[in-house]
Amino acid sequence: MSDLLQVSSLGVRFSGLTALDDVSFTLREGEVRAVIGPNGAGKTTLFNAISGYVTPTSGAVLLQGRDLAGQSPHAIAEHGVRRTFQNGGLFPALTVLENVMTGLHAQTPGSFLDIVLGRRHAIEAEQAARAQAHDLLKLMSMDHMADHRAGDLSGGQQRIVEIVRTVASDPPVLLLDEPAVGLSPVARDQMLEIIRRLAGEKGVGILLIEHAVELVMSVADRILVMAAGKRIADGTVPEIREDRAVLEAYLGYA
Amino acid sequence: MQVSSLPRLRRRLFWAVPVLLLALPLLTNEYTQFVANGMLIAALVTLGFSLVIGNLGQLAFANTAFFGLGAYASAILSATLGLPWIVTIPLSGLVGALGGFVASSAALRGIRAYYLAIITLAFGELMRWVYVHARPVTGGTNGLALPKETLFGFSLSDDKVKFYVFLLVAVLLIKATSNLLRSRLGRAIMAVRENEVATASLGIPTARIILMTFAWSGFVTGCAGALFARHVGHVFPESFGMIQLISSFAMVLVGGLGSILGAVLGAVLLTALPEYLRAFPGLEELFFGLIVGAVLLVLPMGLASLLRRASPLFSERYYRE
Repeated sequence: MSDLLQVSSLGVRFSGLTALDDVSFTLREGEVRAVIGPNGAGKTTLFNAISGYVTPTSGAVLLQGRDLAGQSPHAIAEHGVRRTFQNGGLFPALTVLENVMTGLHAQTPGSFLDIVLGRRHAIEAEQAARAQAHDLLKLMSMDHMADHRAGDLSGGQQRIVEIVRTVASDPPVLLLDEPAVGLSPVARDQMLEIIRRLAGEKGVGILLIEHAVELVMSVADRILVMAAGKRIADGTVPEIREDRAVLEAYLGYA
Repeated sequence: MQVSSLPRLRRRLFWAVPVLLLALPLLTNEYTQFVANGMLIAALVTLGFSLVIGNLGQLAFANTAFFGLGAYASAILSATLGLPWIVTIPLSGLVGALGGFVASSAALRGIRAYYLAIITLAFGELMRWVYVHARPVTGGTNGLALPKETLFGFSLSDDKVKFYVFLLVAVLLIKATSNLLRSRLGRAIMAVRENEVATASLGIPTARIILMTFAWSGFVTGCAGALFARHVGHVFPESFGMIQLISSFAMVLVGGLGSILGAVLGAVLLTALPEYLRAFPGLEELFFGLIVGAVLLVLPMGLASLLRRASPLFSERYYRE
């Protein structure tokens, strides 16, 4: 398994405050990697810096050798690093199907002029995207909801649709910001299953922020532990369980 | 079978309306023909406005400026440069699109909501100031008259002749806008309205989508401006002020924010209404306000929502609350 994503010495400073300090790690193909840490540890800043919503002040984010640091969010997404949002990023007024189709936007052909003039190939591209979105929903057993307004779905279903939408374009790297928070136990198991399948069957490298420690331990291959903007530990589940620095800083045991 | 035939039925209905309208000049007198021509122009102005405030969800009021830019471009190009008026229509559209480009630069700098509203209002007023003061080009407060012209031997002073040109332009622009909204670009416009941050995370260049929407809105409205210049035969700064803005705002809301059908319905109804209300001098404005208020109380999503409820034939893909 090769390194997909290589984050090296990534730093973010907001006028005097160091939110992210010299963080380095790698993500392999098909690997699930959790990022844990107390509130204010810099987990979401790390996600924002990788996905372009915050401009890193130092360091590099290499996707298969290409540096993405400092590019705009849509450019980074187009290169294949895609993310979900902690507080829900669905478009509530659009249907489930349309939400998934927005995930296919960049790879659907048809220029502005072709579209406005109603040229055949633009219409066919639209139909192909529609069919593809249906197929993606079928894979996650969500196709029966295709024509529902996304805002009418339950919290768990919305999370799943957001993930389907985010992986619609087959990105090599997926960043999930607290995918299981607020989910019922059943929905949470379903979410874990989806994460495992994406990594196992499609080889997606997944980086996820999660607070629920038992969930992290059951799904992650490696765990990155952060505190106060720094990496304090990095390793496999058994290694992290034994790490003294982690126990002290995060889990709160002496 | 029923499902697959619905789009075809809808398409036939779309083309049936302009085909039937071809007979309209046989039924009208001079006055009703003039009003009908005004409806076609209002429909385009409302459509362009609805695109920005309804579909893209930006509180931008620069569309009156696009309308004025289009009208003045048409008048200047035909009166001063001697271009045939018909040729000035797409050129006025391009000038309107340029106005859209300028207006979008405010939105792209992160100016939103009330701030965008006031900045675009100021843009509209600034343009009016320019029309008044750029006297050598615009004729100042006296405005500019369009030269008399013929098109394929028909006089463009004849409202029935104008009607056919206006109808053709309106149908083409409505169809093109409908194509745009039903594509990935239309979906992206709605996505920006719903959640701009999440839209970018899907690899959609949100700035370009905002710019494109303003520019297309400016194009449609600029073309409408060229029609308006020919409609009244003379452009004045006063035609492009607050009254024009408020009236097209009302048309968007009464028809249904973000609905193409609604833009047409709102324009037709609110163009016709003042003509009927002339019978009640002194109470015109009161009745107008009451009717607009009543429609919005009963149908917050506008007239188009009534038709949508009546038949799936009238449903539109991205006309939502």
